[in-house]
Amino acid sequence: MMMVLAVFLPLIGAAVAGFFGRFLGDKGAQFVTCAAMGLSAVLAIPVFVDVALQHHAQTVTLFTWIDSGDLMVKWALKFDTLTAVMVLTVSLVSFMVHVYSVGYMHHDPSIPRFMAYLSLFTFFMLMLVTSDNLVQLFFGWEGVGVASYLLIGFWYERPSANAAAIKAFLVNRVGDFGFALGIFGVYVLFGTVHLDTIFAAAAGKANATLLFLGWELPAMTTLCLLLFIGAMGKSAQLGLHTWLPDAMEGPTPVSALIHAATMVTAGVFMVARLSPLFEQSETALMVVTIVGATTALFAATVGCVQNDIKRVIAYSTCSQLGYMFFACGVSAYSAGIFHLMTHAFFKALLFLGAGSVIHAMSDEQDIRRMGGIWKHVKVTWILMWIGNLALAGVPFFAGYFSKDLILEAAYGANSLVGQYSFWVGSLVAFLTAFYSWRLLILTFHGKPRADDHVMAHVHESPPVMIVPLIVLAIGAIFSGAVAYEMFVGHDREAFWGTAILVLKAHDSVEAAHHVPQWVKLLPVVAAVAGIVMAYIFYMLATGLPKAMATAFRPFYLFFLNKWYFDELYDFLFVRPAFWLGRGLWKGGDGAVIDGCGPDGIAAITRDVARRFGRMQTGFVYHYAFAMIVGAAVFVTWYMFNRVG
Amino acid sequence: MSLAMSDLTLALPELFLAGAAMLLLMLGVFRKEDSARVVLVLALLVLTVTLVLAYGVTPKTGRATSFGGLFLVDDFTRFAKVLVLVATAFTLAISRTWMEKEEIARFEYPVLVLFATLGMLMMISANDLMALYLGLETQSLALYVMAAYHRDNARSTESGLKYFVLGALASGLLLYGASLVYGFVGATNFETIAKALASHHAPQGLIIGLAFLVAGLAFKVAAVPFHMWTPDVYEGAPTPVTAFFAIGPKIAAFALLVRVLTGPFGPMVEAWQQLVVFLAAASMIVGAFAAIGQTNIKRLMAYSSIGHAGYALVGLAVGNREGISGLLLYLAIYLAMNLGTFGIILAMRVKGRAVEGISDLAGLARTSPMMALMLAVFMFSMAGIPPLAGFFGKLYVFLAAVNAGHIILALIGVLSSAVAAYYYLRIVKVMYFDEPAEALDRPIGPTLAVVLAGSLVFIVFFFLVPSPLVGGAEHAASVLFH
Amino acid sequence: MDALLHEYFPILIFLGIAVAISVIAVAASWIVASQHPDREKDSPYECGFEAFGDARGKFDVRFYLVSILFIIFDLEVAFLFPWAVSLGKIGLFGFWSMMLFLGVLTIGFIYEWRKGALEWE
Repeated sequence: MMMVLAVFLPLIGAAVAGFFGRFLGDKGAQFVTCAAMGLSAVLAIPVFVDVALQHHAQTVTLFTWIDSGDLMVKWALKFDTLTAVMVLTVSLVSFMVHVYSVGYMHHDPSIPRFMAYLSLFTFFMLMLVTSDNLVQLFFGWEGVGVASYLLIGFWYERPSANAAAIKAFLVNRVGDFGFALGIFGVYVLFGTVHLDTIFAAAAGKANATLLFLGWELPAMTTLCLLLFIGAMGKSAQLGLHTWLPDAMEGPTPVSALIHAATMVTAGVFMVARLSPLFEQSETALMVVTIVGATTALFAATVGCVQNDIKRVIAYSTCSQLGYMFFACGVSAYSAGIFHLMTHAFFKALLFLGAGSVIHAMSDEQDIRRMGGIWKHVKVTWILMWIGNLALAGVPFFAGYFSKDLILEAAYGANSLVGQYSFWVGSLVAFLTAFYSWRLLILTFHGKPRADDHVMAHVHESPPVMIVPLIVLAIGAIFSGAVAYEMFVGHDREAFWGTAILVLKAHDSVEAAHHVPQWVKLLPVVAAVAGIVMAYIFYMLATGLPKAMATAFRPFYLFFLNKWYFDELYDFLFVRPAFWLGRGLWKGGDGAVIDGCGPDGIAAITRDVARRFGRMQTGFVYHYAFAMIVGAAVFVTWYMFNRVG
Repeated sequence: MSLAMSDLTLALPELFLAGAAMLLLMLGVFRKEDSARVVLVLALLVLTVTLVLAYGVTPKTGRATSFGGLFLVDDFTRFAKVLVLVATAFTLAISRTWMEKEEIARFEYPVLVLFATLGMLMMISANDLMALYLGLETQSLALYVMAAYHRDNARSTESGLKYFVLGALASGLLLYGASLVYGFVGATNFETIAKALASHHAPQGLIIGLAFLVAGLAFKVAAVPFHMWTPDVYEGAPTPVTAFFAIGPKIAAFALLVRVLTGPFGPMVEAWQQLVVFLAAASMIVGAFAAIGQTNIKRLMAYSSIGHAGYALVGLAVGNREGISGLLLYLAIYLAMNLGTFGIILAMRVKGRAVEGISDLAGLARTSPMMALMLAVFMFSMAGIPPLAGFFGKLYVFLAAVNAGHIILALIGVLSSAVAAYYYLRIVKVMYFDEPAEALDRPIGPTLAVVLAGSLVFIVFFFLVPSPLVGGAEHAASVLFH
Repeated sequence: MDALLHEYFPILIFLGIAVAISVIAVAASWIVASQHPDREKDSPYECGFEAFGDARGKFDVRFYLVSILFIIFDLEVAFLFPWAVSLGKIGLFGFWSMMLFLGVLTIGFIYEWRKGALEWE
C-alpha cells in the first residue's frame, strides 16, 4: 500500500492541481502538489528501508492491462533495491524542486499548470522505475517524454522554448524508436515482456540468433544495441544529445528536476535494470563503454567554453551521464547507479543554485556579465561551492566516492575499452574541475561585470528557495560517504540482491578495490589540477583565456560550436526533411491530392447540398407530392420486382 | 368476454399514465395560480412512476398478450418503453425554463406530453394493426397540437398545420396499407398475420399493402422520401417541443416499425428488406448533404435526425438479431446525444431572447468555454468520432451490415458520415475559431446543467462500461427472433 | 384467400351501380333539360339580396370551435347507439367500458367548460 501510494500520490497531486487549479488558486495548487510529493518522499524512506536494507524485494500487482493472445501485460510495481534507490532519489529531489518552485515561479501567471506538470512528470518517472515489464517501462518512458516536452515548452509564448521542446521530443523519438524495436525484439525472442521471466531465460539465449531479412543476427547484441539507442536518446548520449542543452529553455526548476536529476538518468537506469541482458553481450557492453566515455569527453570540452550558466551545467550533466554509461559498460552497474544517485543531489543543487543566481541577477544567464556577487548572495555562493566540489570529485564530497570508483572500475575491467574509458575519464575529471571553477569564479568572484542597476538589485533568494538547496547540499556532501559501503563496498552483494546481475568474469567493482594506488590518486590530482588551472586563467592571468582562444582558434571554435553537431544534423536531416516536406506539400498534396480529392469533392458536396436545399420549398403540397411519389415508387417497384 | 386481472397488470404503466394525465388535466384547469409549474413537476413524477412500472412489468414467460391479443409485453417493449420514458422525462424537465422565459408556460404542455407518451407506449406494445393505429394517432394528435403550441407565433402555427396535414396523409397511407393487408390476410392480429404468411405464398396485393404501411411508418421516423416535414416542423416548433419530437416519438416509431416488420411480416423479410435498404440509404445521403449550408441550428438538427434515422434503419435493413440490437443501441446513444445538443440549443439565449442561428455560437469557446466544450463533444459524438458513444452506435450497425453482406449499404453509411462530419465539425469550428458573437446568457439553470452533464458523462465514458446497454439491446432484440 | 375476396364482390357491384346511377342522373339532366344561363342565374343565391363580398370570407374562429366540439359529442352519441342495442349481450363489462369512455369524455368536457370554450362572450 505504501509503495502504491508513493507512486500514485504525485499523480493525484497533478490531477488535482491540473483540473481544479482554477478553483484552488496558486497557493492551493502549490500546497496540494507539494504535500502529495512530500508525502510520497516520506513514504519512499520506509520503502527503501524495507526493500533495500531488509531485502524484501517484492512486486505489487495492480491489475491486468493487456491480455491479448500470448501477450499478457499487467500493471505492476516491481520493488527491488534498484527501484528503491531510484524511487527514493527521484521523490526526494522532486520534492525539493517542488518546494523550490514555489519561490522561483512566484511571479508566473500559470502556477497550477506548472506544479501539475512537475507532479505529472514525477509520477511518470516513478512509473518508469517501478515497472515490472517492458511495456509499462515504455509507458513511463514516453510519459516522461511528454511531461518534459510540456515543461520545456512551458513558456509557450517564446518561439525558442517551442523549438527546444519540439527538438527534445523529436530527438527522443529517434531513441524511442530504437527502444520500441528492442521491446518487439525481446518479445519475439522470449515470448514475453515480463522482466523477471526474461531475466531468468536470458542466460539460455546468450547464443540465440534473430533472422531479419535473411540476415542472421546475434540476438542479444542486436536487442541490447536497440535498447541502448533508446537509452542514448533519453540520456543525451553522443549523437542524440543535441536536445539537452536546448532544453534549458524551460524554467530552471525543470532543468534541475528533469535534465539533471531524473529523466536523463532513465537511460542509465534502463541499462542497469536490463543488466542480465547486457551481461550476455560483450559487443553491446563495449559499445556502451565507448559511447559513454566519448560523450563524457565531448560534453566536457564543450562545457569549458560555454558562457550561459545553465548550458555549462547542462553539458556537465551530459558529461556525467557519460561516466555513468561507461561504468555500466564495464559492468560496474552498481557504480553507475551510485554515481546517478550522488549526481542527482549535487546536480540538482547546482541547477537550483544557478536558478538562485539568475533570480538574483534579474534573469541574466551569461556568466560574462556576472562576477563579484559572492558578498551579496553568501548562502547561494557557499551552496554552489559545495555543489562544484562534489561535481569535481574533491575528496570526501559525494562525487569523489562515485567518480573515483567508476574510474577505478574502468581500470580494473582490464580491457582495451576499459583502458580507453579510464584515460578519457581522467581527462574529463580534469576538464570537469576546470569548467566548474571557471563557472564559480566568473559568477561569484573577481570584479562585477554587470551594470550598476543589476548589481544594486542583487539579493539573496527567499528561504523557500534556500531550504531545499540546503537539503540537497547535505546530500551532495554526505550521500557518497554514507552509501559507499552499501552500494559498492563490502555490503554490495547483499544490498543489491538480484536487482543487478554481474557475471563473475565481469566483476569490475571487485577489481576496483584492488587497483594500484596511483589509479586511485589520479582523479583527485586531475581535479586539483583543473581547479588550479581555472584559478590561474580566470583570477590571476585573465588575459590567458583570450590568448589561448586565439592561439588554438580552430579548437576553440570547434568546442564553442559543440563539435558542429547541430550544423551537421541541420544539413543531414533537417533541411532535406524541410525540402521534402515542402515539395510534398506544394506539389504532391496541394496540386495533386487537393485538386482531385478534397477540393474537388468538397465542390461537388456543396453543389449537391444546394440542390437538396432547393428541394425543401416550404409548400405543403410539394411535400405531400413527394410522399405520394415515394409511396408510388415503392408500389411500382414491387409490381415489377416480385419477391417472396 | 370478461377481463381477467392479469390482463390489466400488463398494461399497468399505460393505465396509470392515462389516469394520471387526466387527473393532471383536471388539476391544472381548476388550479388558479402556478398551475404550469405544479403540473410539470407532477408530470415528471408521473413519468418516473411509469418508468418504474414499465421496467417492473415482466411477464413470467417473458412474453404475454392482453386485451384479446391487442396488447403485447415482452423484453423488447420493455427496452423501448424505458428509452421513450427516459427521453420524455428529460426533454420535459429541460423545457421548463425555456417555456417560462418565452412566457408560454402553460399546464397543457406537460399534459400533452403525457398523452403523447401514452400513445407512444401503446404503439410500442401494439400487437394488432388496429392497436397500432390507435397508439399512433393518440401520439400524433398530441404532437400536432404541441407543434403549434406557441399559437401566437406564425412559424409555430405553420409548422403545426404542416405537420397535421402531412401527418394525416401519412395516416391515410398507413390505413390504406393496413386495410389491404386485412383484405388479403383476413386478420389484423400480428401473430395471426405472421402465421398466415409463413404458411401461404404472399399475394401481390399484400406486398402493396406492406409498401403503404411502411410508407406511413417511415413518415413517423422521418425517413427519406417521407421526411419533408421534418426541417420545417423542427424549425418552427418551440425548441423544447423540437427536442421532444427529435427523441421520444422517433424511438417509439422505430420500435413500432421494427415490431411490424419483424413480427407479422417477419416471413416476408426479403420483400421489405429492399424497401428499408432504400429508405436507409436515401436518408443517410439526404441527411448528410442537405444539412450543409443550413444556418439555423434547429433545422440542422432536423437533417441530422434524418441522417441518424438512416443509420438506425441500416440495422433494420440487415433484418437479423445483430442488426436490431445495433439499432436499439443506436437509438439509446442517439437519445443521449440529442438530449445534450438540444440542451445546449435551449440554453442559447442572448439578452433574454432565444436565438437559433449557428452564427450565434461564434466564439462560444471564449465566452462560455464549458458549454462550447460540451457541444463540441456532442458534435464529435454525432460525427462518430471514437471513443465517444456515437462512434459505437455507428460501429455496431455497420458491423451488422457488413456481417450480413450489406457491404454497399455500410459503405454508403461510412461515406455519408464522412460528409455529415463536415457540418458537425463546422459548428465546432464556429465555436472555437470565429470571432465571438454576443455572449450567451448565463447561468443556464441547474436542471439543464445536470442533464447536460449527464449526457456528457454518458457519451464520453460509454466505452468504459458498454456492457449493460449493449447486453440489454441484444437481449431485447433476441426476443423478436425466437 | 379467394373466398375472402369473394365476400367483397357485392361491394364491387354496389360501387359500380352507384357510379352508374350518378353518371346517368347528371348526364340525363344535362342532355334533356334546356339551358339558357344568364348573369343572374349564374350568381350565388343570397336570399334575394344582391350578392356582395366573396363567398370565401373569414369566419370567426369560434364557429369552428363550436362545430368541432359538436362533432365530438355527435360521435359519442353515434357510439352510444350500438352500445345501447347490444347492452344485453355485452353485460356488465360492456356497461363499465362505456362508463369509462363517458368518464374520459366528461373530463374533456370539464376542461373545455373551465377553459371557457363554450362561452361566446
